[in-house]
Amino acid sequence: MRNMSQLAKDIFKYGRVKDCPVYDMHGHMGSHYGIHFPTKSAEKTVKSMQAANVQKLIFSHHGSLMMRDGNSLSLKEARKFPGLLKVYCTINPNFPEVTEKDLAAFDEARDVYVGIKLLAAYHKKPITDDGYKKAWEFANKRKLFALVHTWGDNNMNGPEQIDEVARKYPGCKIFMGHSCHGEWDKAVLLANKYKNVYLELTAVPDERGPMEKFIEKAGSKKILFGTDMPWFSYHNYIGAVLGAVRKEEDLRNIFYLNAKKLLGEIGQL
Amino acid sequence: MKIKFFDANAYIGTQMLGVYKSAATAAELLEKMDEVEIEKALVYHMAQFDYSPEEGNKMLVETMAGNKRLFGCWTLLPPQTEEVIADNFFAQMKKNRIFALNLFPVHHRFLLNGVVFGEFFKELIKRKIPLVLSMREGGATWEMLYSLLKEFPNLTCILTDLSIWGVDRYTFPLLEKYEKVYLESGVLSLHEGSFEMTVKKFGAKRLVFGTGFPEKYQEASMLHLLHSNISKTDKQKIAAGNMEKLLSEVKL
Repeated sequence: MRNMSQLAKDIFKYGRVKDCPVYDMHGHMGSHYGIHFPTKSAEKTVKSMQAANVQKLIFSHHGSLMMRDGNSLSLKEARKFPGLLKVYCTINPNFPEVTEKDLAAFDEARDVYVGIKLLAAYHKKPITDDGYKKAWEFANKRKLFALVHTWGDNNMNGPEQIDEVARKYPGCKIFMGHSCHGEWDKAVLLANKYKNVYLELTAVPDERGPMEKFIEKAGSKKILFGTDMPWFSYHNYIGAVLGAVRKEEDLRNIFYLNAKKLLGEIGQL
Repeated sequence: MKIKFFDANAYIGTQMLGVYKSAATAAELLEKMDEVEIEKALVYHMAQFDYSPEEGNKMLVETMAGNKRLFGCWTLLPPQTEEVIADNFFAQMKKNRIFALNLFPVHHRFLLNGVVFGEFFKELIKRKIPLVLSMREGGATWEMLYSLLKEFPNLTCILTDLSIWGVDRYTFPLLEKYEKVYLESGVLSLHEGSFEMTVKKFGAKRLVFGTGFPEKYQEASMLHLLHSNISKTDKQKIAAGNMEKLLSEVKL
């Protein structure tokens, strides 16, 4: 393997390196209407995590995303593996009564909850909609994570909407899930413009080029590793990052240092 | 034992919309293969897809220049128009180190069935020439593929560029029914657990290693295969053995 750092060579050789853990900031769990997932349960997920030295996965269960009132599924699975699994509380603006109930019960689940998850393109209301307001204010006040599914050329959760919420809620740590896929330059601009906005890698390594751009234009300290687990496999994604990122310091920032810092800031390390 | 790699899915040239650091020539592709220690590759030229199969096929031969690490894959069009398939077609394949054929029926606007390719596909079956079917946009659709295999169940088909959304619900029935259907591992390795489950259910012989370079990172499917939860013997078969066997059986 020419042009690779020693760390990258070691990961290639051993599949996992003890002093370079991986923190996956974007995952899911459970079965799904459109895809067969062989890795559905928390038990199988953790087995896959261990094979790649993934020491933390923050997820939202498919049941919380695709049906009404499903956050309890995330909590149940996460509590099987305390410390390894953390949860984003899914906010679906179509059910304000559920959002109210979930936010009221948020503190009872602080052992696993680290923030909120928005999937606006699927829930068909922009992230700037009033239906999300209470959740944004809640997360802003408590300086929580907000993992937002983002995509380019999209008026539900595109760069323009991120610009608006990042300005409005500076207390939130906003992770742009998929980094405004396709509108890479705008994603970089947002990461540079706002201290509280981060580029997240899920679905980014599907294509050569964007990761190199992120490193060059935004720097590795604004990049978080994520996989959509169980959509995408750890070794495939780690391999892609090794293909794109040459410096060991950058690899460590992306794989775990940035995530550890953020988790530390909310007392969830 | 060191695993050696044979990439079943790489192309030379770039898309008309551009691709990040693609390989403009065979020499550049070989350099990139050397960098990550891939020994051999089945290759086509992107001009075969984007510009013209007729001209792109020629460009592939020209840039490969007989290099023994590269195995060519020409793009087909309906035999009736004589744009690609003409007299001495198989002799030309042999002369130019073309070991497999691909086609992109949606992008190139023809139908994939026996009316169009009947006699020709019978010849492919006899000669054991693999047909590479890309499932990328513009390639084949699942409906086309299912109909094709119903008509030609003994055709050797390698399915490449599988969808970003998992495809087990499409591929498992095909692997169960048609023993000459193979999956290229590139995008398949992206899906957590699907690769291992495919090996467990249908055997390592049904997979061939591929990267999807230059659009995808070679390192992604390589690292996945090296550390997947299957035996080392199966890894070697998938990494290179199966593809070498398939191409060794081709009669030109």
